[in-house]
Amino acid sequence: MVSTMRRVFMTCLLFASVSAQTANLGVFANAGDVGAPALAGSTVFDPATKQYRIAGAGINMWAKQDQFQYVWKEMTGDFSVAATLQFVGQGAEHRKGGIMVRQSLDTDATYADVMIHGNGMPSLQWRPRKGEDTNTFDLPIEGAGTFSIRFVRTGVKMFMYAGRNGAQPKELVHTEVAFQGPVLVGLAVCSHDPAVKDTVVFSNVSLEAAAPAGPVRPPAGPAK
Amino acid sequence: MRALVLLCLLAVSAVTQTGNFGAFTNSDDVGAPPLKGSAEYDPATKQYKITGTGADIWAKADQFHYVWREMSGDFAVTATTKFLTEGNAHRKASIMLRKTIDADSPFLHLAIHGDGLSAVQFRSAKADTTNTLDFPMQAPGVFTLKLMRQGATVTVFLAREGETLKELGRTQNQLGSPVLVGLGVASHSVEALNTVQFSNITVEPLAAPPAAR
Repeated sequence: MVSTMRRVFMTCLLFASVSAQTANLGVFANAGDVGAPALAGSTVFDPATKQYRIAGAGINMWAKQDQFQYVWKEMTGDFSVAATLQFVGQGAEHRKGGIMVRQSLDTDATYADVMIHGNGMPSLQWRPRKGEDTNTFDLPIEGAGTFSIRFVRTGVKMFMYAGRNGAQPKELVHTEVAFQGPVLVGLAVCSHDPAVKDTVVFSNVSLEAAAPAGPVRPPAGPAK
Repeated sequence: MRALVLLCLLAVSAVTQTGNFGAFTNSDDVGAPPLKGSAEYDPATKQYKITGTGADIWAKADQFHYVWREMSGDFAVTATTKFLTEGNAHRKASIMLRKTIDADSPFLHLAIHGDGLSAVQFRSAKADTTNTLDFPMQAPGVFTLKLMRQGATVTVFLAREGETLKELGRTQNQLGSPVLVGLGVASHSVEALNTVQFSNITVEPLAAPPAAR
């Protein structure tokens, strides 16, 4: 009897843990590692402060392979994502924290991201097609700090905004990436060192779907 | 006698094309646009007047007029661009690096469009699609462009007339050496010619590259 009770209790605990992982991530739906980094990452969302504390390891998000911790939601169409981020502690110069838009969870998936590096370098990076090399555009470095960033998708255009230490995010540059259908939209952290985990705190996170540009199609009628 | 005169004329024309061309050595249309482009160099003012036509510098193949020289290693190029003709909003003037003069060659350029849009665009592999980085819109005008290559890093700078050059940012590319370095003009229309004046041109080799990323 006691052992049955204990099993039921354990099952409930397990269930609660899984629920927490998928149901209490604020504006996002899922969290996990991409690219199987040697150290497992983690994402903790605090419903009171609405902050995300994301710990990620991984060699890099670069060239043909990405390793990082990801918290995401699937979206279709245009959107605008914003977050303020702060690195916790010391780490590699090129550790990364930012907003990641991705075609899939594959390590070599098509993606576009706005990344702040540990040394304060803001970058717009993208892999135009699955399995290809990453492209980068690195904005001038003003120094490490707290960055407010925004990533806006309008069709194939991906607009990067950033502001440092309280400055209003300013439009800096945009590129074009041809995503197909639904995409994953979220926050990413990579330590740029497989033996190290880095923590980044994201606050003021917002995720807005943009109204469709064209006329809204009437709902589909019954099949004929 | 007539044949000899023609031969001499041809020879003079060829010398003009390659011998008295300022910082560059060659000029030609790339991608065989239906109209013919041209380039004039004025040794007194050290200005180029480049007339280009062609569908665009975009997607998998390019049509434009190119003025270039071959270089290896690291370098910096600056030029001030002024559109002399009206035309398509996306007619382009650029500082262009190019692997070959094939229409679908890998390239990277810092371009200013007729409507004031500045952009870094590149094709990483032969016949691949073009990538673009577009900067926030500015009003049309006279701009100074600077492109600096150090190893795989290309840093771009821009200034409106009367302003000082400001770094926009940097990207990475694998064009390697030797590479064609020059000025490009496209009209963004196969039926139109676009003339751009390039002045204050500098082409300087630079010292060894910084450490790899």
